[in-house]
Formats: sequence, C-alpha cells, structure tokens
Amino acid sequence: MKKTIIWIVDDDVIYQTIIQKLIKKAGVFSAHSSFMNGKDAINTLTNTIEESEYLPDIILLDINMPVMDGWEFMEEIKLIKSKINKKIIIYIVSSSIAIEDKNKSKTFTDIIGYIPKPISIEDLIAIVQSDENSAGN
Amino acid sequence: MNTEKLWYNIANWFMIRPRTSGFLLFLFLVFTVIIISAQRVYTISENQDNEMNVILNDINQSIEHSLIICYTTTVALELSIDDAGIPQNFDLIGKELFESNPIVSNVQIVPNGVIKYMYPLKGNEAAMNLNVLTSNSLQKESNKCIKAKKIFFAGPFKLAQGGIGIMGILPVHKENKFWGFTAVVIKLETLLDIPRIKFLDKSKYEFQFSKKNPITNKEEFFIPSKLDLSKSYYKNYAMPDSDWNLYLIAKKPYSIYAEVIIRLFLGLIIAIALSILTSRFLKKPIELKLLLKEQEEKLLKNEMKFKSMFEQTAVGFALVDASSGCLIEANDKFCDMLGYTSDEIKDKHFTNFTHHEDVEKSIQNFKSLGEGKIKEYSVEKRYITKSGNPIWVQLTVSRLWESNQKPSTNITVIKDITSKKEAQAQLEKSETRFKSIFENSPLPLWEKDFSAVKNHLVELDLMNKKPETVYSFFDEHPDELYKCVSLVKIIDVNHECLKLHKVKDKALLLENVIDLIDIEPFDEVKQQLVAISQNVKQFSIDSQIKISNGQIRDINLRWNIIEGYEDSLERVILSTQDITDSKIAEADILNSHQRTESLINTIDGIVWEFDFETMTFTFVSKKVETILGYTVAAYMGIPNFWEDHIYPEDREYALRTSKLVNKTHKNHDYEYRMIAKDGKIIWIRDIVNFVIEIDKPVISRGIMIDITIMKEAEKTLNNSLYLVSEQNKRLLNFSYIVSHNLRSHTSNIESIISLIESADTEEERNEMMHLLKSVSLSLDETMSHLNEVVNINTNIGLMISPLNLNIYFTKAKDILCEQIQLNEVSFVTNVTDDAVINYNPAYLESILYNLISNAIRYRHPQRKPIITIKLYNEKGENVIEVSDNGIGIDLARNGDKIFGMYKTFSNNPESRGIGLFITKNQVDAMGGTITVASDLNIGTTFKIYIK
Repeated sequence: MKKTIIWIVDDDVIYQTIIQKLIKKAGVFSAHSSFMNGKDAINTLTNTIEESEYLPDIILLDINMPVMDGWEFMEEIKLIKSKINKKIIIYIVSSSIAIEDKNKSKTFTDIIGYIPKPISIEDLIAIVQSDENSAGN
Repeated sequence: MNTEKLWYNIANWFMIRPRTSGFLLFLFLVFTVIIISAQRVYTISENQDNEMNVILNDINQSIEHSLIICYTTTVALELSIDDAGIPQNFDLIGKELFESNPIVSNVQIVPNGVIKYMYPLKGNEAAMNLNVLTSNSLQKESNKCIKAKKIFFAGPFKLAQGGIGIMGILPVHKENKFWGFTAVVIKLETLLDIPRIKFLDKSKYEFQFSKKNPITNKEEFFIPSKLDLSKSYYKNYAMPDSDWNLYLIAKKPYSIYAEVIIRLFLGLIIAIALSILTSRFLKKPIELKLLLKEQEEKLLKNEMKFKSMFEQTAVGFALVDASSGCLIEANDKFCDMLGYTSDEIKDKHFTNFTHHEDVEKSIQNFKSLGEGKIKEYSVEKRYITKSGNPIWVQLTVSRLWESNQKPSTNITVIKDITSKKEAQAQLEKSETRFKSIFENSPLPLWEKDFSAVKNHLVELDLMNKKPETVYSFFDEHPDELYKCVSLVKIIDVNHECLKLHKVKDKALLLENVIDLIDIEPFDEVKQQLVAISQNVKQFSIDSQIKISNGQIRDINLRWNIIEGYEDSLERVILSTQDITDSKIAEADILNSHQRTESLINTIDGIVWEFDFETMTFTFVSKKVETILGYTVAAYMGIPNFWEDHIYPEDREYALRTSKLVNKTHKNHDYEYRMIAKDGKIIWIRDIVNFVIEIDKPVISRGIMIDITIMKEAEKTLNNSLYLVSEQNKRLLNFSYIVSHNLRSHTSNIESIISLIESADTEEERNEMMHLLKSVSLSLDETMSHLNEVVNINTNIGLMISPLNLNIYFTKAKDILCEQIQLNEVSFVTNVTDDAVINYNPAYLESILYNLISNAIRYRHPQRKPIITIKLYNEKGENVIEVSDNGIGIDLARNGDKIFGMYKTFSNNPESRGIGLFITKNQVDAMGGTITVASDLNIGTTFKIYIK
C-alpha cells in the first residue's frame, strides 16, 4: 500500500491535536501538514507547486476559518489548478450539519465529499482506499 | 312824337327797375359830392401855401437884412487893418461898430485865425485867443471860407463865452496872402428876433431853423420842437452864404381834410336817403301788379280743381232723370267703371247695367225716392259692365229736388267695392278652412273668448301691473279667481278634445267644463291671468286636467291669440296636448338616471369619466368628497386637478402609466397616492376602462378606490414579515451557531473519548484527558456567549431611559484606558455635553465598548489610531457613528459575515468573533439597525440607527 500525503486545514487547535493522533493511528499516511486557515494552505501549495512529490494527495478542509475560509480556498485553488501536476482529493470536514453547507460543497466539482465531525480512524482509511480505488480505475 | 316815346321808354325802363334806378341815382350823387369836395380841398391848400410862402419870404428878408449889416461890419473892420496888418484904433472902431449895429453882440479881429481883438471884451473873455482854424466847431467852415474868399456865416454853435450864436467871418488877405479874419458874433436869439416870427399864429404854424453840421453832415435843428418834420407839411428856404435852412411848418396839416370829410359824409347820407326813397317810390305799382296776377292764378286753379274733381275723382258721379231713370250725365270715372264712353252711357236706363238679381230692389228704391218717401238711399249692388263682367259698387243716390217740387234730377254716386267684396269672400273661405283645420287637428283644441276676463282685469286695475302684484292679488282674493274662471267663454272645441275628455259631444263637455277647471291647479290659472294682464300673445304651461271618468291626465296647455284679436282677446286658440305618457317616460328616465347616479354614489370609490376629445372629466362621482375632501365641482372645474393632486413621489409614475394606458387603450389598473384636502396621503387604486369607437378611444371611465387601509395593512404586514424574517435569520444564525460552534466542541469531545478508549498508554490517556478539559472550558465559554445572546433576544420589555451619550462614551474610554494610552489613541467627537438619547444603559455601554475596542484592535500598524464619534439625525432617526482610520475590512468578501458569531477576519490572536455579534444583537433588540462601511487600509465606519 502506497503511503499518501494528507493536509489538514482547520483553525480549531484541539481538532488539530486530535487529527494528528488519528493520522498516526491510522498509519496509512506518509506525511501530514496542518494549516490554521485557507490562506496558509494556499500559500504553501503555490510555493511547492513545482515539487509534486511534496504536494498533498488528500486535503481535509474546514469551512469556518478566519482570514480565508474553506470556500475561498476552493476559489483560489481553481485559479492555480492547471499548474498542479497531481490529483488532489479534497474533503470538507466540518462540525456544521447545516444542509446549506453540504449543498454548497456539491457546487465545487473538486470536492469529493462532505464529512461531518467527529472524524474517525475508519473514515480516514476509507478516504485513502476510495482514493486508491478511483486511482486504480 | 318819337322823342316823346323815347322819353316814355326811358322813364318806363326806370319805373320797372326801382332798385337799379335808386342805385344809379346814388352813384350820380356820390360822384357829384366827391367832385365838390376835391375842388374845396384844392382851394384851401392853395390858400395855405400862399400864406406860408409870404411868411417865409418875410422872415428870410429880415434875416438877410441882419446879415448884410454883419457883412458891412466885417468889411468896416477889415478896412481898419493897415497894410502892415495891424488893426488901427480897434477899441474905438469896435465900439462904434458895436453900438451902431444893435444885433451884433461882438466884433472881433482874428489874425492868423487866433482871436486877438474883441469888443466888448467884458463877458467874452473865454473866447480870447481861441484859434478858429483849429477849433472843432469852426475848423472846416473857416477853411472853406478862406478858399471862397468871401464872408461866411458859421454856426450856430455854442459860444465859448456862453449861449448859442452865429459867427460871420470875412477872410482878410494882405498882399495876396491870407492874413486872418474879421468877425462878428450874433446871438441866435437876436438874429431871430423878428416881428414876423414873434407874431406868428402859433396855433397854425411853427418856425424852424436848421443847419447842416459841417462835421457829421447831418441837419441840426436849433429851435426846440415836438414836431416831426418828416410827418408834417412844411415849406422851406435854403439861405445862400451859409448852410442854413428856414422852415415854416403847418401844425395841423389835416385840418382841411376834416372839414371836407364832414361835408363828404353829409353828402353821402343825403345820396343814400334819396336813392332809397326813389326806389321805394318806384316799387309800389309793381307790387300791386303782382298781387293781381296771383289772384288770377288762384281763381284759375280752383276752377281746374273743381273740374278735375268731377272728372278724375275715384268716385263715379252720375245725374239721373228722377222721373225716367235715364242717365243725363256721368263723369269719366263712372264711365270707366262700367266700360262705356260718356256718349254711350247718356240716356241709358240704370236697369240696363244693373245685375239681374239686383234689378227688382233697385227699381223699388228708385220708386221710393221718386215718391218722396226717402231723401236718399245707399246700397251695395252689382253692375254689369259693357263687357259683361259683374262689379260690386257702393251706391248712394240723393235727390236734387225738394219734397214739394216735381221730381227732376237725382245724383248718383258709386264706388267700386269689388275688391272689398272679394276680400270678404276670401275671409269667409279662410274661416271655413280654419274651422276644418281646427276640427281635424290631432291636438285637442279649444276656441275661447277671454274678452270678459280682460275687461274684468281692467276693472280690477290689474292690467300691465307687475306680474308679482297680479299673482299675489289672486292669492289674496280667491273669489276673484273663480270669477275670472267663470268669465272664460268657450266658443268651440274640436273632435280631439272630446276624445281627450272621453265625452260624446260638445254639449256634454261644455256642461262639465266647470269640473275640469276645478281640478286645474290654481297656480296655473293664476299664471294664465298674469299672462293676460301682461298682454302676452302666447302662453304655454304644463298642467293637469280631470277627464270625464275622473282620471287625471298631464297636459301641455298652450294658447295663442288669433291675429286681429290681440286687444279684445275675443278669440283665443287653446291646445291641451296630452303629455301623460311622455311624462311617465320622462319620469322613468329620470328615475333610472337617479337610480344609476345613486348607485354610482354608493360605490366606495370615485367613479369618473374622461372625454378624450375635450380632454376633460365629464363625470366625477360624489365619493370624491369623502375620499379626497374636494367637491365634484373643484375636481371637474380646475384644470389638471388630478395631475396636481397626485403625491409628488408617485406623479411621474402615475402620469407615465396613464399616458401609456391611454395610448394602448387597454383596460388597466394601477396604484398611486393622492393628497387629500386635509393633507392626508390617500392610496388610490385606479381601474381604467376604455370606450372605443372605430379603433379610437372616445371616453375612458374608471373607479378610483381608496386602498389606504389595505396599503397600511400591507405595510404593517411587510413590517411584521420583515421582523419575522429578521427573527428567523437570527434564529437560523443561532441554530447555525449551535450546530457549528457547539458541534465542534461535541465532536471534539467524541473524538477525544474514542481516543481515550483506544489509548494504549496511561500517558496518552492523560494527554487526552487534558485535552478534554480544555474542550470543556471552551465549551463553557461558548455556552456563556450563547446564553448572553439568548438573553438579549428574549429581553422584550427592556428598560429604555434618556441617557447622556457623553457620559457613556467616557465610561467606555475609562474601561479601555490602558489600551488607549498604550496605542496613543486620539478621539474626535461632535457630541455635546447635553446630547441625550433614549436607550438601554447596559446595551449602550456594551455597544460603545465593543466598537471602540474593535477600532483599537484593528488599528493600522503605520499610523496612530484616531477614533471619531458623531451623533446626528438622519431622516428622523438619531445616528451614532463610530469611525476609525484602521486597517479596514474587505466588505466585498466579508460583508455578509461581519456581524456573525465567531467570525474573525484576521490572524489577530485577540480576535474572538463575538463583539460585533453581540453588538448587532443588542442594536436589533432595541429596534434599530447597524451598518458598516469600510475601505481597506483607510478605515471603517459603523452607524447605529436609534429608533
């Protein structure tokens, strides 16, 4: 099984701590990075766009964040998408169970799924597997 | 014989021309008088001339005599000068000469022109040593005298020794050389002291003495006089050896004319008188002749008149033999009427040309006259003319003999009355025609006689009185009213009239006539009487009658006075048209019209009608008064009333819509506001319909419904809806907060718990427990925030009190004083110390705190923060404005989130995303609103609207 790179974009510090634990426990990821808002994440993405081995396979994106929220991040990534030489799977991971947020996530074709918090180890493994399945196809 | 005749002719010529003769005599006399007068004038003036010449000559001689004395004196003096030029014994010789010539006042010797010797010297010293050749008055004359070498009389001039004098100077030559002069001085008065002048008749003449001034060459007069020479008659004489002129002036040059003029005038008067008398005298016989001629003419005229009267009169005369009945003589007119010549008609018996129907009666009348039973008779009868046509004549026959005499001659006078007879026949015919029209008229007609009524009105003295007077008289005297009604005579009624009254024959109707008058409303009877009193020719009134079966019918009563009876009112035609049916129809129309109108007026809206041709409202229902407060007349009468009373904000829309609708003429309804008379704004829904004729709208009709209440309800509804949706939004927000913020904590807790369960080591479990604690803390914090918001939103009966804004502003500054000092914040404010707003104290404190602390927190790193606080009024609402010069917010990106919970827009660690959320909730709870405006890197402005 190929190890994948995962990025967590979320302003909740406690969630960040928890997800790190879960990533470790899941053991399917080769590396992970944490970002406190969309802006940090997009900056890093732009900076490492040439080195595709460092680019993430999976991004778990929160919606509510200061400076740049999840939706804005999606708008930004659209602009640089053509330059990215790698398929990046994006999941929305939010504590919001509001139906509007879920519906809005569907309007972005790049968003694969909407995962309501709390996320579990099984969820993380399932994400990776589905990614491999779709890649295999 | 011939001369005699000539004289007679001349005399006759004058006799028949009295004026000319008088005038000629006058001319002759005037001529004679003028000739005599002229002769007289000539004689008188010649006498005067002679007299004047004699006087002047005498004077001249006296003067010349004096001058000769002077000459001898000067010569004597000359002789006293010796050859050496020295005068010898001057004093002696001078004295001798002076004494022997009393007219000389001084003798002088003047060697070389200078007076050196003088006698007497006394009194004349002033003249001594005077140089004659240079003296002004003598220079020229003395020189002239030297040249002439003979004596010259100079002057008169003012003497150096006084007085006026003349100087006789004689030039003296020794050895052919001028030596000097010898001179004498004569006083002018002495020279002129001549008896002829002294005793001159001063009333007739005046003497004058003049000299030509040697220097100015003007004539100077030396005797004072008032007479103007140029206007006077005079004689003069120029004296030699001097430039002197003697004048004799006639003082009254016209006195001779006056005398002559009086004579002339008298002569003229006599001439006029004589000529008038002559002409008068000659006139008399001519006047007499004229009178005679006039009388003659008059006589002739009378004779002619008489003759022509007999011959040319419009009346026919004939003399008839009283015993035989044959015509003796007839005039031209008589013959003309019958068509015979005067010869033919002679000896004809009158029965020969009498109409056969009238013969018998004519003979009877003739007999009666012949027997002396009657003196004359007059009949209308027919004659037959020569050509066989009958003519009507008025015949009058009188006898020209006395009863006791034997019948001799009758005089017959005839007048042609054919045309009168024809007219009479015509009248009868028209009367018949009238009858048939009357009888067959489709209108019920009456022929009545009002003459008795009129006579009664005359008796009552009501004719031509004021209508009101007549009317009120009958009001007060009903008995007279009845009387008048009973005086109306019915002459006839027609068939239609019987039909109207439903009676069989006229007699029946006339019997019942009083019954129908009974029912006739009195007012109308009075009006008819008033009309009669005003001499009205026609009358019309709507009235009622009762017919035989008791039914009441409406009629239109009209009457006309028949021509020719205007004064007597003996014949009046009345028509009583039955208008019951048309009245009913009229009432029906009126009813339905009223019903429609009352229906329209009950409609709770202004019904209107607009005419496109005149572009005016043709109808507006009364509802306009209740809805807009204006009268129908005002709405319809004032131009552009509708346009002018639309609420200004809606006018453009309403007019645009109306115009569009009028163009497309599609039925339409639209809403706008109008301003009522009391200033209230009324919401109108205008439903418009078009009446179209040949693809063109002619009329638009519509109803304007007052929908103000509906609109108000709608507004309240909208307000409530807004409130509800606001509440809903907040609720949503709240649910979002709950779902997101609480769930983030719970999901964290869930994850931690599962991690604790699956923890491999104690250390790991502890770590998780620690994490759990911090989650619980932040959960608690969130809970308390939510609690706060819930509290704000559930606080309905919040206490509101007047608050001094400045005090609360200061309070907020006090709380934040540490940060203010640290960041060197400065404040700008327009809030006065007495500015008061109505607000909840806790909220005001919290709002000001949050906004100011936000402004400090998001300050710009490169500049010192300045916070401006303003209080002002915007559209009736108080506004607190807090603005800063901080970093600003990108509203395009974050505008919708700025007042949300836990929304932060920067990485500022102090951002909690709760302040503006609370502020917004508080402002909302107070019923106000909060807005934000911001520019990145320039600053942010918050406005709090206070209700």
